[in-house]
Amino acid sequence: MMRITVKGIGVTGGFGCGVADLALALEGGVGRVTELTVPSAGGELRLPAFRAETGRLEEFVPKRTLRRIDHYSKMGLLGAYLALQDGGVLGSDLSRMGVVVASGYGATATTFAFLDSIIGDGDICASPTHFANSVHNSAAANISIMLGAKGPSLTVSQFDMSVPSALVSARQWLAEGRVDTVLFGAIDELSDLIGYLQHRRRGPQQHRAISPLAFERESSIIGEGAAFLLLTAKDSGPAYCTIDAVETGSLYRGKLSLPHDALMLLGADGRKELGDRYLDTVPGRSRVACYAPIYGSMPAGAAFDLAAAALVLQNGKAYPIPGAAGCGMDGIAVPLETERVCSLRLAGSHEYASLTMSRG
Amino acid sequence: MTHPWPVAITGLGCICAAGTDLARCMESLYGGRRAPEASTRFTSSHPTRFPVFEVPGFAEPPELLRTSALGLHAAREALADAGLDLETLRGLRVGVCVGTTVGSAMNNEPFCRDYRAGLDPDLEPIERIMRSNPAAAIAREFELTGPCQTVVNACASGTDAVGLAASWIRGGICDLAIAGGADELGRITYNGFISLMITDDSPCKPFDKNRKGLNLGEGAGMLVLESEELRSRRGVRARSYLLGYGSACDAHHLTAPKPDGEGLRYAIAEALSCCGTPAEAVSFVNAHGTGTPDNDRVESRVLADLLPGVPFLSTKGYTGHTLGAAGAIEAVFTVACLERGMIPGSAGFSTADPDLGGTPVQACTGISGTVALSESLAFGGNNSVILLGKRGAA
Amino acid sequence: MTTKEKLKKILVEDLNLEELTPEDIDDNAPLFGEGLGLDSLDAVELVVLVQKHFGIEIKDMEEGRTAFQSVNDLAAYIDGRLAAA
Repeated sequence: MMRITVKGIGVTGGFGCGVADLALALEGGVGRVTELTVPSAGGELRLPAFRAETGRLEEFVPKRTLRRIDHYSKMGLLGAYLALQDGGVLGSDLSRMGVVVASGYGATATTFAFLDSIIGDGDICASPTHFANSVHNSAAANISIMLGAKGPSLTVSQFDMSVPSALVSARQWLAEGRVDTVLFGAIDELSDLIGYLQHRRRGPQQHRAISPLAFERESSIIGEGAAFLLLTAKDSGPAYCTIDAVETGSLYRGKLSLPHDALMLLGADGRKELGDRYLDTVPGRSRVACYAPIYGSMPAGAAFDLAAAALVLQNGKAYPIPGAAGCGMDGIAVPLETERVCSLRLAGSHEYASLTMSRG
Repeated sequence: MTHPWPVAITGLGCICAAGTDLARCMESLYGGRRAPEASTRFTSSHPTRFPVFEVPGFAEPPELLRTSALGLHAAREALADAGLDLETLRGLRVGVCVGTTVGSAMNNEPFCRDYRAGLDPDLEPIERIMRSNPAAAIAREFELTGPCQTVVNACASGTDAVGLAASWIRGGICDLAIAGGADELGRITYNGFISLMITDDSPCKPFDKNRKGLNLGEGAGMLVLESEELRSRRGVRARSYLLGYGSACDAHHLTAPKPDGEGLRYAIAEALSCCGTPAEAVSFVNAHGTGTPDNDRVESRVLADLLPGVPFLSTKGYTGHTLGAAGAIEAVFTVACLERGMIPGSAGFSTADPDLGGTPVQACTGISGTVALSESLAFGGNNSVILLGKRGAA
Repeated sequence: MTTKEKLKKILVEDLNLEELTPEDIDDNAPLFGEGLGLDSLDAVELVVLVQKHFGIEIKDMEEGRTAFQSVNDLAAYIDGRLAAA
């Protein structure tokens, strides 16, 4: 299986902005949880949430070019620029770079704003700008336009499996030599609707931290952000790590085969409904880490996991799990020397993704 | 690559306004029949009524979004066509790659209205969205174990899904793939496209001098793709082969195509290069041809430059613009036309526009070649092209 | 507020022209291309804004094109339609 190299990382999320901020947050081991206020029948709801900022985008583009660009695309643009900068290719010819964006829910705030324009002012006042921006591939399009990237573009919406699924295709582009580099990222956005649904589906939110291995209870905290990686098939030059294997699909019979010599980086993000599956799937003697407490519960979290894994492998050392360890699993409590990471994400009753990465 | 080009296409399925299966669709196309009209399923307070192409008599089950139900319907037809039963599928690693736009949108108008009105609406509409991801719905239905991907590349999604699935087959990521697209008609999309002022209040006229815009449609197209090696082992016939796939971004504007068609030019060249097919081998083009002033102008000029004299048509005059399903429905139509050795007239066209690169075929036209091209130009500037035809045609 | 003043406010607020104030906008400056630099997506958004704030429907972009030349032209168009109503 072809290995691909991670050359650059660009992130924005609850922990701050840029790979240095992410590294600091992982070392510190505490998630920066703020608040999302959403209207509801019973009055205003205050939910714990990880919010992402996009102010730093003005370091890369003049403010006026962002006039029509919504928060979803801004997060994506910022992640993209930071990844290119980190990978040392900003300013070079990007015309043959592929762009891949994964999003669990798309631009939910703009989708909702479009609906609001209809609900509030009638069908004839539907806003075309909101409509155009609510189309899922708007972020990828804005990235291509701003960067002059004329290679293939792919946006994938597969809920929790958006990132692994998109990575399968990104890898194929590199394996086929269609492009030399892929700007690969994930974006998810908070909005009134997402906040309200979290409250309705998961009950009142009393906790202020995700306890990912406490599988017996619900501790998810919604987040937003963008995590982008610059991927290439070429081996030369400095890199964070390589991605050696990408396995994803559904398992109906038998057990998932997972590497025994890798740190298991779990995609558990406090959602109780997936607890049993993680307990069932992770091999008994595994060393386990989980960093969702730093960035939040969202489909794009899988790309943050990749970024975190890349940092772990660059350092050769895994960060301890933020917060308390939970039941039935050997979660690492002190930094652990690590040469291989297996990022494991489970969803629904049968879906899985296992991404194996190693030090270059 | 584990498997080289070309990739075998062993099953086809299609449902749209032109018919509830492929045979019925092709009958409508060759018969020159179309009947766009105001929607029977939703209303809009817009003073002008814009005709749409609805699938008649298709009711989705309550637990699924209409988009996913349409997708499943076409998938069933394609799997049966490919001689694949549940048992055989279980023994294979099968991927699913489906394009959509509406099918992935986190919106449900009644739910949002109630929420905005200060109520606590029933969660079922949201739960329905969560269980109706178009690719996942197919994977779940048949208990498929391979990779699952819903492509949301706007109007190019269907073409891209086919090209990406072929890539998975060639890379040995899965043995077989169900690839295609699905999209439903709905109020939100309807109002959205009207607000962009690119819809026609009369039946659409792709490539015509008096074209005013698109008509929306709905439906699904599905193809079964597999390696030539697997096809031969299974002992089934290929209906056609995927000979190439190309895709490039204009990087120009969120909703308008680049005037010089740069992305489309690149995509066509890339698709032809996969099997080294010479441009002269292309016997017809199933164009994107939405009927908007911009698309038809840009597209026809590129075709005139790169494929001069090659007959082209838009089948959107028969189906409307089915968004995420379009590229897949059109891929299916292209195979059917190659098999029959005939393309239907480009519905809606009557008067040539001197500003365009050429004119589409106006009546059923015999085709003697074995290779054809199908292309999609999308919001966001994606241009995607697939090449279909006989193995060894290059 | 006059039609012109209202239009300038709409342009700044609803089209998100953040670095401008309504006072910065020249009555005669072209709205599209040069001048304010709006594009085709802004044009259709402006059609909706005119509907929303003045209740006037612009049926196609041919009609819109002449009206949208400048703030002066658009104000005159709107006032004309309102008077005829």
